[in-house]
Amino acid sequence: MPREIITLQVGQCGNQIGMEFWKQLCLEHGISKDGILEDFATQGGDRKDVFFYQADDEHYIPRALLIDLEPRVINSIQNSEYRNLYNHENVFVADHGGGAGNNWASGYHQGEQVEEDIMDMIDREADGSDSLEGFVLCHSIAGGTGSGMGSYLLEALNDRYSKKLVQTYSVFPNQMETSDVVVQPYNSLLTLKRLTLNADCVVVLDNTALNRIAVDRLHIPNPTFAQTNSLVSTVMSASTTTLRYPGYMNNDLVGLVASLIPTPRCHFLMTGYTPLTVERQANAIRKTTVLDVMRRLLQAKNIMVSSYARTKEASQAKYISILNIIQGEVDPTQVHKSLQRIRERKLANFIEWGPASIQVALSRKSPYVQTAHRVSGLMLASHTSIRHLFSKCISQYEKLRKKQAFLDNYRKFPMFADNDLSEFDESREIVQNLVDEYKACESADYIKWGMEDRGKQVSGEGNTSGTVDSRVAPS
Amino acid sequence: MEGDVVSDLVWQLAVRIFPSGGRSVENGGHGGQKKQGDATLQRAHQYAMRIIGSRIAPSLANDEAAMAEAIKRQLVQENRSADALSFADLHRRISSYSGPGSIENRWALLYLLRAIAEDQRRERAETRGTAIPYTSTLSGAAAHGGLPSFPSNTTHPKLPSFSPEPEVSPGRSYSSRNGTPQNQSWSQSSRAQSPSSPGGVLILTKDDGNAKAAAMREYLEIVQSESDISEMAIVRDVLYACQGIDGRYVKFNKDADGYMIDESIKVPKSTRTLVRRLCEVGWLYLRVKNHISESLENGPLEAIGTVGQAFCAALQEELADYYRLMAVLEGQAHHSIPLMVGADSANSVGNYLSLRRLVVWLGEPLVRMRLMAVLVDDCKTLRGGAMAGAIHMHAQHGDPLVRAFLRRLLRQVCSPLFEMVRRWVLEGEIDDYYGEFFVSAQSVKAEALWREGYQLQTAMLPSFIPEPLAQRILRTGKSINFLRVCCSDQGWAQAASEAVAAAGASASGGILGYGEIEVLEALVAEAAGRIDKHLIQIMYKRYRFPEHCLAIKRYLLLGQGDFIQCLMDLVGPELAQPANTLSSFKLSGTLESAVRASNAQYDDGDVLDRLRVRMMPHNDGDRGWDVFSLEYAAKEPLTTLFTEEVMGKYLKVFNFLWRLKRVEHALCATWQTMKPNCMIARLWSNKEGGQSQLTAVLKRCQTLRNEMNHFVTNLQYYIMFEVLEYSWSNFLEEMEEAHDLDELIAAHDKYLGSILEKALLGERSQLLCKTLFSLFDLILRFRGLADRLYENAREVQTRGDSSLRSKGRSDSLTKSRPGQRKLSTAQLSGDFLGTLGEEMDGVAVEYSSLLEGFIAQLPVQQHVDLKFLSFRLDFSEFYTRQHMGMSTTPIRLHRTPIKMQKPSFGAEPGLV
Ligand SMILES: Nc1nc2c(ncn2[C@@H]2O[C@H](COP(=O)(O)OP(=O)(O)OP(=O)(O)O)[C@@H](O)[C@H]2O)c(=O)[nH]1
Ligand SMILES: [Mg+2]
Repeated sequence: MPREIITLQVGQCGNQIGMEFWKQLCLEHGISKDGILEDFATQGGDRKDVFFYQADDEHYIPRALLIDLEPRVINSIQNSEYRNLYNHENVFVADHGGGAGNNWASGYHQGEQVEEDIMDMIDREADGSDSLEGFVLCHSIAGGTGSGMGSYLLEALNDRYSKKLVQTYSVFPNQMETSDVVVQPYNSLLTLKRLTLNADCVVVLDNTALNRIAVDRLHIPNPTFAQTNSLVSTVMSASTTTLRYPGYMNNDLVGLVASLIPTPRCHFLMTGYTPLTVERQANAIRKTTVLDVMRRLLQAKNIMVSSYARTKEASQAKYISILNIIQGEVDPTQVHKSLQRIRERKLANFIEWGPASIQVALSRKSPYVQTAHRVSGLMLASHTSIRHLFSKCISQYEKLRKKQAFLDNYRKFPMFADNDLSEFDESREIVQNLVDEYKACESADYIKWGMEDRGKQVSGEGNTSGTVDSRVAPS
Repeated sequence: MEGDVVSDLVWQLAVRIFPSGGRSVENGGHGGQKKQGDATLQRAHQYAMRIIGSRIAPSLANDEAAMAEAIKRQLVQENRSADALSFADLHRRISSYSGPGSIENRWALLYLLRAIAEDQRRERAETRGTAIPYTSTLSGAAAHGGLPSFPSNTTHPKLPSFSPEPEVSPGRSYSSRNGTPQNQSWSQSSRAQSPSSPGGVLILTKDDGNAKAAAMREYLEIVQSESDISEMAIVRDVLYACQGIDGRYVKFNKDADGYMIDESIKVPKSTRTLVRRLCEVGWLYLRVKNHISESLENGPLEAIGTVGQAFCAALQEELADYYRLMAVLEGQAHHSIPLMVGADSANSVGNYLSLRRLVVWLGEPLVRMRLMAVLVDDCKTLRGGAMAGAIHMHAQHGDPLVRAFLRRLLRQVCSPLFEMVRRWVLEGEIDDYYGEFFVSAQSVKAEALWREGYQLQTAMLPSFIPEPLAQRILRTGKSINFLRVCCSDQGWAQAASEAVAAAGASASGGILGYGEIEVLEALVAEAAGRIDKHLIQIMYKRYRFPEHCLAIKRYLLLGQGDFIQCLMDLVGPELAQPANTLSSFKLSGTLESAVRASNAQYDDGDVLDRLRVRMMPHNDGDRGWDVFSLEYAAKEPLTTLFTEEVMGKYLKVFNFLWRLKRVEHALCATWQTMKPNCMIARLWSNKEGGQSQLTAVLKRCQTLRNEMNHFVTNLQYYIMFEVLEYSWSNFLEEMEEAHDLDELIAAHDKYLGSILEKALLGERSQLLCKTLFSLFDLILRFRGLADRLYENAREVQTRGDSSLRSKGRSDSLTKSRPGQRKLSTAQLSGDFLGTLGEEMDGVAVEYSSLLEGFIAQLPVQQHVDLKFLSFRLDFSEFYTRQHMGMSTTPIRLHRTPIKMQKPSFGAEPGLV
């Protein structure tokens, strides 16, 4: 009963980062580009069946669905060396092949129309697993397909597989290059609503930060998607190591996520990784200690989410939870010492309304992949500063909305028909609410936050408020 | 032939010296006789022959020049320079003369001449006859093969009257310088005591001429006159007594418990005492003798054993020595040798074996006999190693004689023991029919062989084998037996023979036995080293002990996380059933499925075969959870390490970890019911006022879950890092260093012990452990509560939502709230919510106090360092703050119970 995880890669971005992810997984598990287990891959100890299923003894196939509304990216995958890796029945390309044109509404609408086809694929894949743990969605939130169709799929999954976990790796647009997609604020906002309501865990991959890291840390002047995607695949594979290399703890996604997400709505995780190297960048093996790794993981420069917080706000920001997944040759006794140092130096601020700690999972490293570093670490953290990313989305959206710019593209689709833009408003409100909740998390009074909020609003509406207030009061 | 010639020559010499002419030679103070001369000649001849035959070592240097020089000096000293010159001239001439007829042994000649001259001078000086010159010069000359020569012509053979030469002191005479002290004393005494010989005739020394001897004789005569019996008879009787036989006069006296001269017989008191003293040895002899005969003849062999036998044999050997001495003494007692030539001394004064001599003769045997008797007394009740040890204690003696004697004895006594040790150490055999060895065997089951099969019998451990060595000896043989019986291994024999060779090489030729403790040590060290190494190898390689430890760690200590997860998923629903409805057959099937579904499937078949479900005895009302556990069935010979007790401890750890896992699992499941994308999230976003209660309860539920999750997760991390992995890595190190099975067992026990202690399962952590288990129970209760809460909330939601849903997602989210939904919401916030809220508060308060109690107890634990655990639990110092907040303000904000009032409107009872 492996806790199988089905990956849905939607849109250009989703498929590109997904492909990188599978490449990495194949390397780590000793699976060839054709899905055949390499002769040397006998050391075992790894669990391949979480992400792959076996067609026969030697043949491993990713539990992945490749979905796009335009054929370009998927074609390139199917023409690549990895063409035989995927199950061809799991590839979905829209018949018309026109994509979603960076329009969320188009993507969402098309998703609705092809729901049956895609759900069949998903059902088939789910039926093929013994105890499905959940889904991982890879997509961008700024385009049309990944965001719109991704949003639709999130809702659909939520409906149909309500008990299964839904995790997303969501690529946030690069704020530095506005040229990219002008309507990205609309798309992002609408997607964010679904990420808030219909996903259980969102791993935020911020193209802005990824670019910054590539430029600043890896010294690549104009990073390509391929280069940033290798960062992404590193993060994705590292965050799944405990699922793939079983140990005492964190052997399932639920366990991993349940500790990271104490309160349901604050389920956006940011990641950090160290040491950062671009693929094939030859580095002498350096001695890295657990403390080095853990300390660096707390440094902003290694975090793959941009911080838009102003200084004052930044000092208010708090960690809701941290999980460090450390790979390599680590003496378990070092962990405690490192934790002590970190606490002594107060390197991390934690929420005050509940207990919190840095969890450290030690995980094996693939014996088949040579890395330049003895020890490496991934941080998955829930941090209140992420609200600034959402705030930024909202403000960008508002700028655009004020100008009533590009709304026509959306009105073409049923959701926004008849100039009903309430979906925008509702999304905005939900995202704003999310921002507020994160802000509330920075206070020790977070527990009371929801209730006060409600109380006020309720009384304003003059509903059953009177009775409620008296009920809340201590007797 | 040659002897005759010499005898002849001596006779002629005697005739020359004592010419038996018409003049009779007066002989001391004794009455003269006609034939005196002949007799004197006879005696002188005999005497001379005896001296010649006695081979007294020469103390003179055969140096002609020195001799000549001495003569010259002498002459000069005597103011006879002219004589000195002529002597020198004569000497030169005789020296230079060579060829036929020349004298070869000129030194001897010079010496003879000088001695004669010396004698004459002394005669002159003392004017009394003396025998010394003869004895001294003759012995000297004879000894050096010099020709007996006649006195020089210039001196009168009878040497009756020379003028005294007072300047020549006796001290400077040759006799005093060269003669034996005995001779000297005679000479002195004769000079001082011998009556003057009126005729000036040379008198040979006789003992009756000796004043001391005379006094002695007188004394003896007096003694004799006081005794009814002769000393000789007493001596003979004493010799009998010494052999434990009553004599004519000396008999065993029961009252006095010793041999003594019959009271009725008149002997001097001193003799009586002396006899009594001498006969002690006989008394002792009897004791020893009786012991031997009792042991050997009367007692069964079991009673004395091989060591006792060896002891008797050794005693007998000693006695044989003693008998030999007795025989010699008896011989001497019969053939008494007169001390001096004395024809008329017919009485027994000169008996060689006097009582006093016996004292000397028996001195050493007495010491030995006394020792033997003491040993016999001491060892009467002892056997085997104990006996050897007791004898050894006596050997710790300052007297080298005693030490040497006992050492000899012990070598013999201990030889059976050492043989036993040798066989045990090299062959693992106990050759001990009479219970004498310090290792004893019990017949036990194979799995108990190592721990209980063999014991050290401290009573039988001789004190010369130190305890650690004994332990090592015990273990070595035990290892062999373990290999033979439990491992069916033959390889040890090779190791043993190598050990013999190596020990032989290293022990520098010593033979295993008493007093050669280094040899024993070397042998044991070699044998132990090799055999233990072999054993460890067998345990590691053939029986794969480390692999099994790892397997136990993975399965019983939950290291194989994916397997445990599968098992928990599969077996969970079943374990919720009452314990008595469970089928262990079915559970075994489930276990199998979990193995197949996880990476455990790739594990060794041998390992998987040993993994079993075990149902513990159950009480009324027990659920499956209470009785289910996993078991690892160790096989021979690993059962020696994985004993039932050890497996019981593993079971304890498993149950704890399994419980912890279950709690973690429960919290995860709870999270899943309240997970973000559940419709609750949408409900959350509702601005409906009626749901504020629900919001509050849900939030309480979430934060409480978070708190519990934090606790369980960090406890798990602590268990993993600080308990299991920490102990494991220590264990691996110790396993690497274990030289023998005992060390291996100790390492493993330590490993398990450390896990138990640190996981708070030890004796001294009972209170903590109880709190911990209460916390677990509370968390499980919480889970039920949360499940109910969400189940009902969802039901309401579904009802409310269905109308919304039916409109389809494409239909923009309408804000219209159907009346039905409102009703549901009201129902939700009704009775049900109130009760749940209260219950939730109850759990929260209880949890809070339990946890606080638990955390407060951590730092005060003396026996186990739990700072790691408290550090983790309070990493963000949440509890510290809370505690401080508590002491300043009585109400903690987030702990304030949310009191729910019953709603005024009706609630649907079905929802509760
Ligand atoms: N990190 C990363 N970001 C990408 C990649 N490809 C596209 N993006 C980002 O994704 C956003 C654009 O969305 P796409 O994924 O290209 O759009 P789509 O989902 O294919 O939708 P349509 O093309 O409109 O049908 C932009 O913000 C890009 O920066 C990629 O390979 N890596
Ligand atoms: Mg595209």
